[in-house]
Amino acid sequence: MPLIKNNRLVQDTWHIIYDGETLKSTNNLVDLAYWQANRTELITTHSPIGLRIDGNEDIELIATDLQYFSLIAINFPSFTDGRGYSLAHTLREQYDYSHELRAVGDILPDQALYLKRVGFDVLDLPNKESAELALQKLSEFSVFYQKPVA
Amino acid sequence: MYLYNEFDQTLVNERVEQFRDQTKRFLNGDLTEEQFRPLRLMNGLYIQTHAPMLRVNIPYGLLSSKQMRMFAHIAHTYDKGYGHFTTRQNIQFNWPKLEQVPDILADLATVQMHAIQSSGNCIRNITCDPLAGVSADEIEDPRPYCEIIRQWSTLHPEFSYLPRKFKFAVSGSPKDRAATQVHDIGLHVKKDAEGRIGFEVLVGGGLGRTPVIGQVIAPFIAEEDILSYSEAILRTYNLFGRRDNKYKARIKILVRETGLDKFKAQVDAEWETIKNGPLKLTQKEIQRVKAQFAPFPYQTAVSTNAPNDPQNNSGAFRQWLKQNTIQHKQAGYRVVFISLKSPTQAPGDITTEQMNKVADLAEQFSFAKIRTTHDQNLALTDVLENDLFLLWQQLNDAQLATPNIGTITDMICCPGLDFCSLANASSIDIAQGITERFTDNAIDTGNISLKMSGCMNGCGHHSIGEIGILGVDKKGEQWYQLTLGGSDSHQSKLGDRLGKAIAKESVVDAIEDIIHVYKAQRTVNESFTNTLQRVGLQPFKDKVYAAH
Ligand code: SF4
Repeated sequence: MPLIKNNRLVQDTWHIIYDGETLKSTNNLVDLAYWQANRTELITTHSPIGLRIDGNEDIELIATDLQYFSLIAINFPSFTDGRGYSLAHTLREQYDYSHELRAVGDILPDQALYLKRVGFDVLDLPNKESAELALQKLSEFSVFYQKPVA
Repeated sequence: MYLYNEFDQTLVNERVEQFRDQTKRFLNGDLTEEQFRPLRLMNGLYIQTHAPMLRVNIPYGLLSSKQMRMFAHIAHTYDKGYGHFTTRQNIQFNWPKLEQVPDILADLATVQMHAIQSSGNCIRNITCDPLAGVSADEIEDPRPYCEIIRQWSTLHPEFSYLPRKFKFAVSGSPKDRAATQVHDIGLHVKKDAEGRIGFEVLVGGGLGRTPVIGQVIAPFIAEEDILSYSEAILRTYNLFGRRDNKYKARIKILVRETGLDKFKAQVDAEWETIKNGPLKLTQKEIQRVKAQFAPFPYQTAVSTNAPNDPQNNSGAFRQWLKQNTIQHKQAGYRVVFISLKSPTQAPGDITTEQMNKVADLAEQFSFAKIRTTHDQNLALTDVLENDLFLLWQQLNDAQLATPNIGTITDMICCPGLDFCSLANASSIDIAQGITERFTDNAIDTGNISLKMSGCMNGCGHHSIGEIGILGVDKKGEQWYQLTLGGSDSHQSKLGDRLGKAIAKESVVDAIEDIIHVYKAQRTVNESFTNTLQRVGLQPFKDKVYAAH
């Protein structure tokens, strides 16, 4: 689905691996259960690796593995579920995670700017129309009371 | 008062345009009702029984005469000629048209006002003591801190989709006049042994379906750390607060289910990592905001005997003076409450003409500033004693001088069935019934807090009223549950149930029975709460249920 990065639409170079699918040679985006079950294999033969987690996932489960991920995608089960914002903030600020942080799932264009401000650098919008609107919405505010997450 | 700089103004203007676009997309069908709902709520817009309702923030209950005139303009232009002040010091307009709301917000922005986060699952308007800055017992004026917290929480990217709404209240005096114990976070200004300013922090208080008194999570957080500590609480809540059940989503439930000690440990662990980061307040920033709340240039050496002047010896004036004004920290001045509980209006309601009148009087007598109170009244906090008689005459002409502040007819009442789609029962007509019954002897009855809600959500704070009335639904009929002995002053306490619910037509009689028992049992000057504590619930039960 349409991705926004650096204020423009970009192609996705990652493969989402659903239950039971075989891995591509590289750039696989796997879920937490898959990662836990196939950790060693993924590290040795399939780097770079992406991890997909829900906003309510316990960060302790991945805290010591962060160096293996080139992408962490945080899923929003509903656009009103704000846990992913705090998880993103925590990954960036507390764990110094510096690779791609992607927001996926139920996201409104109206949320693009907030997502960016808490540390997401890539946004996965449901369709082209909403992605284009999200691009406009990124410049909706020119001033903020809060410092951005780097 | 805090005046916007260019930065603050830009932000509010941009917010207006954002909401204009969201409204347009909704009306075009590009946003679904489900998508628009949280977006409009975050801008104070509800869809009620008859029409949308727009709630506008009055930060910590302080407004200028110019802002009050803008409310009058909005009530006149977009509504039915009146507004309604709420228990959280805000104002609501009950009849705006959805398509006009962006224009209303644009008008508000011209006087530095907005509806940002006046509703929705985000950090709401910060409330404080309506007597901030003018009461003698104050440790420190809480308003600069409210403003600092307001700015930090405004359009906060991380905390705009919380599990549920989140309310702050700040008190600057040992005597809590901000009901901090029934807020998600309550802050009490304290000074430590070295005289440094900080806050005792309470967490997890709240009314609604499960009323809870907040608990102390930190005895002293230094002023420079108040934002980082608040952020640590909010982050912990945002991550761990329940989202599976709307009625269990407030922080009070998280604190209860986690246990205060464990919750505190989580907050402290988070705080440790951010304490010395960018949220640490500098003295420069604190002083920048404080400078905007400097005391007014009060006249000193004024003769202070004006209220006793024989020409002012109207009985009605003296009654008003006794009931509706209180001491000011500056000799020669008094604080004047403007009662919005006249027998002819619903509690908290005010007409366009009255708003303009209050604005005029504020300019004439009180440094052009007005306060809103938790009891849905207004206050002119800085009036020269010499001016009181003149002021009273004009208030009286505008039906704004009902001498009932603190009495049973000065009740708090939610909109109930007349406006609110969640209501089980009406509250406005009950309020009217009580007002009619007690108007002539309210003062003689003494100070009693009566609070009424039309449903369990408790917007009328019934559970902390000395007399609480809660509307319940019994097979489609309106019934009322009474509680006695609640309190929101200093030591908050939840009222106890009197007994089974009472039918609508008997409620006012039941209240009269309760007052009858109180008057018969009280010793000289004994308050309702003290009498109740001494004699217990039984005499009240006996009287009310014997009769009905
Ligand atoms: S207490 Fe209930 S009826 Fe009254 S305003 Fe709140 S939700 Fe509506």
